[in-house]
Amino acid sequence: MKITIERGALLKSLNHVQSVVERRNTIPILSNVLMRAGQGQLSLTATDLDIEVVEATTADIGQEGGTTASAHTLYDIVRKLPDGAQVEITDGEDGKLTLQAGRSRFALQALPQEDFPAMSAGDLPHRFEMPAEALGRLIDKTRFAISTEETRYYLNGIYLHMVEDGAPMLRAVATDGHRLAQADFPLPDGAAGMPGVIVPRKTVLELQKLVEEEEGIVRIGVSDTKIRFEFGGVVLTSKLIDGTFPDYTRVIPEGNDKDMEVDGKKFAEAVDRVSTISTERSRAVKLNMEEGRLILTVTNPDSGSATEELGVAYSSDALEIGFNARYLLDIAGQLDGDKAVFSLADSGSPTVIRDVDDESALYVLMPMRV
Amino acid sequence: MNKVRRLSEGTINRIAAGEVVERPASAVKELVENAIDAGSGQIDIVVVSGGRDLIRVSDDGCGMSPEDLLTAVERHATSKLKQDETGREDLHDIDTLGFRGEALPSIGAVARLSITTRDAAADTASKLTVEGGTLGSVEPAAGPEGTRIEVRDLFFATPARLKFLKSEGAETQAVSDVVKRLAMAHETVGFSLTSGDRNLLRLPPAQGDLFEARLSRLSGIMGNDFAANALRVDAEREGVRLTGYAGLPTFNRGTAQYQYLFVNGRPVRDKLLTGAVRGAYMDFLARNRHPVVALFLEIDPALVDVNVHPAKTEVRFRDAGLVRGLIVGALRQALAEAGHRASTTVAETALGAIQAEFPGSAQGGAAGSPAGSGWQDGARDWVPSSSALQAHASAQMPHQQAPQADWGSGFGTSARVEPENIQSQALEARPLGVARGQLHETYVVAQTADGIVIVDQHAAHERLVYERMKEAIAANGLTRQMLLIPEVVELEGDAADRLARRAEDLAELGFVLEKFGEGAVVVRETPALLGKLNVTGLVRDLADDLTELDEALSLKERLEDVCSTIACHGSVRAGRRLTAEEMNALLREMEATPHSGQCNHGRPTYVELKLADIERLFGRR
Ligand SMILES: Nc1ncnc2c1ncn2[C@@H]1O[C@H](COP(=O)(O)OP(=O)(O)O)[C@@H](O)[C@H]1O
Ligand SMILES: [Mg+2]
Repeated sequence: MKITIERGALLKSLNHVQSVVERRNTIPILSNVLMRAGQGQLSLTATDLDIEVVEATTADIGQEGGTTASAHTLYDIVRKLPDGAQVEITDGEDGKLTLQAGRSRFALQALPQEDFPAMSAGDLPHRFEMPAEALGRLIDKTRFAISTEETRYYLNGIYLHMVEDGAPMLRAVATDGHRLAQADFPLPDGAAGMPGVIVPRKTVLELQKLVEEEEGIVRIGVSDTKIRFEFGGVVLTSKLIDGTFPDYTRVIPEGNDKDMEVDGKKFAEAVDRVSTISTERSRAVKLNMEEGRLILTVTNPDSGSATEELGVAYSSDALEIGFNARYLLDIAGQLDGDKAVFSLADSGSPTVIRDVDDESALYVLMPMRV
Repeated sequence: MNKVRRLSEGTINRIAAGEVVERPASAVKELVENAIDAGSGQIDIVVVSGGRDLIRVSDDGCGMSPEDLLTAVERHATSKLKQDETGREDLHDIDTLGFRGEALPSIGAVARLSITTRDAAADTASKLTVEGGTLGSVEPAAGPEGTRIEVRDLFFATPARLKFLKSEGAETQAVSDVVKRLAMAHETVGFSLTSGDRNLLRLPPAQGDLFEARLSRLSGIMGNDFAANALRVDAEREGVRLTGYAGLPTFNRGTAQYQYLFVNGRPVRDKLLTGAVRGAYMDFLARNRHPVVALFLEIDPALVDVNVHPAKTEVRFRDAGLVRGLIVGALRQALAEAGHRASTTVAETALGAIQAEFPGSAQGGAAGSPAGSGWQDGARDWVPSSSALQAHASAQMPHQQAPQADWGSGFGTSARVEPENIQSQALEARPLGVARGQLHETYVVAQTADGIVIVDQHAAHERLVYERMKEAIAANGLTRQMLLIPEVVELEGDAADRLARRAEDLAELGFVLEKFGEGAVVVRETPALLGKLNVTGLVRDLADDLTELDEALSLKERLEDVCSTIACHGSVRAGRRLTAEEMNALLREMEATPHSGQCNHGRPTYVELKLADIERLFGRR
């Protein structure tokens, strides 16, 4: 194999694939990126056996072929090369890969391309397309609620599925058992009949980085065990979490009748300010609602207390309820419009939060007992 | 298949021996127990090659008559079980160490046993030998009142057993361990243990009241350090009495081996003790450090079953919860009373280090001092008196009166009166004294009435923050996060019931659960402090704790781990300069805070050097 490619293009592709590669690997070849040259393209592949990212980019092919070498080392080298440099990569007979740019020359230990594990996606019977921006939104709105606690592994991802009890929707849901986030997008053609799947957290994070830069369309293929996203020159294939997502609809209350409307931005700022008083990770903010106003309080037996009053639209009976400040801030960060509505029942039941004029996303938060 | 037939007496004894006499140390244990039961005042033990070649136990107890001697070596013959009017023996009323009547015949079955004994009524001693189960006849012999038992060639009759013996050193160690344990519980009896020609233990009968005698016996065995670092334990609950000594947390060990429990004078090994001790010291020690304790439980023999195993080292309490609660409560109480007291070995180690560094100074005279030149030149660089600290301190104490211009004139007048400062004098009388300065922005040095105290500011403050957090939690309760998706945890056996029964206690710790059908619980709320946690794992651990220890240790430990991490981050670091007010405030708060003598990892937060120690350093004593 022998190729020449401009440093910027190589760096961009390497950047896209290398983050899948784990820092520590017991199987040496998993630290490597697979490079294949052919038909005017250099294709890079990285995998951790659960996710595979392939990216193709135009390059000058001197000789077709393929090899593998350490992804992180390659990335670090290319990053440090000067802008605009022409990079020449050759795989030698001696089991080494040579990278040359200007006067720099690197010889890296290579492993044969045949040893690189291929991930077969198998048959992906359900195929549909959606705008990259819409996919990004589904992820953005829900990602923060993904659980990282591993015993309930089926919560370690975003549950992507279709709902049909109104206009058909493609829905993303994530929950960590304390709060829940849900976002909808009108069901794309071809998605009808797809199974509900749990997309693992790591895949979600990789995907989010990749679609951020993308403006076009994402083609999605789904089976019971795999999901694939294709866009630009990238193909990301991932295993799915093999588990049953809990029946989340049961924890989204329907009958919460106390509504409070508040300016989302002001609310977030106030929560942020009052929680300064406590350094605890689990600090609680007390919300006191009465006719037309909301009082936020944080008390810390050590350092004192903080209160802030906000004007809100509220006309039900007075209510006091406590929440984890961090959780409130996470959710407040998701509200885009200027008016958010909190639907409450009592101080011991889940509260629903959403943008007043955006039905397509909602958040459920369980209170704390303070 | 062969015909079923009864085993011969010899075989039965050899089988029994397998349980009673596992290794030389167990033979020693049985023989010493017999000597104690015989009311001896002095017991001398000799072993050769780890007890394999010879074990000899001589006592000055009541001895046996020739007739009793012959019965004593029969199986299941004992003088120790009481009979009621109908001739029934009561296994629930045992106040001797022996009661199974198995030791002598078992040993006789596997070794060459010879017993020489004389009771008060006889004017000559009698001797009997049993070799590999073959009984000799009782013959007159010479000997003092009391009993001398020799066991030679242990296991010669059961060579398979020999193969399992450990090295001579290890067997000797085990023998010594057994003797030490028995000696701890019987402080008024004198003991000696000799291995070959090495004298391993010499313990005269201890004098004084119960506590004095015990403490002197304990320090005879564990070293004088223990006495200096032990807290007295004395508690009673529902007729059960617990006495003994508990080591300060700073006096800790790498293994739990130095935790002794005695039930009615019988050394026992029991998980209950381990758990109770872990629970009581939880706040003070890193998970891998263990305190030293020796606890003596006196309980109505009817409330404890000692007949669990032939070796009699396991016991079963009728009310384990009561005993456990008593132990935890008594230990906590003793620890709370100890307040900020840290272990003296700490000061001692420090002193040792200083002395090692300045070999000359200990011999008196500045000649050999490596710091010689500085000394000779006088005070310009360094003032070798208490005013040195004073001077240094005032440099950092903007709020105190300006230092006297005594850099030169103060030299040599160590008795110089300090600036008239009533407050300072009053403070000096306090246990941790008055702050005189801060060294390396890490250590606070304080002067007390009769010495100096050096405080590790970070360790001390960390402890204070931690104790304050615990207090706040105790006062306000724990904030609980309710679960949006409650977690159902399936459990084995009756674990779910056990958890459900303790639901109230758990709720106090921030953990709300209830039964969920058969064999499962549903967790609805968790302590907010723990963030998102592995609920299933914690519930399982809790169920185990409740089975084994009857207390929710895992949860407490988890909570306290978090508290101490927070405390560690929230406290003054080493390297921060403190003002005089801050330093004094730190000292006062340490005095007022229970357990402030050690950090959360069992390291001391301060050391105290008495003037006497310092004088020793300078060879003045
Ligand atoms: N050192 C001793 N001094 C006096 N009597 C002894 C001594 N050793 C054993 N005996 C007598 O021998 C009996 C049998 O001892 P042993 O086999 O150890 O059974 P146990 O101690 O369970 O009664 C004892 O009950 C006691 O009467
Ligand atoms: Mg006995």
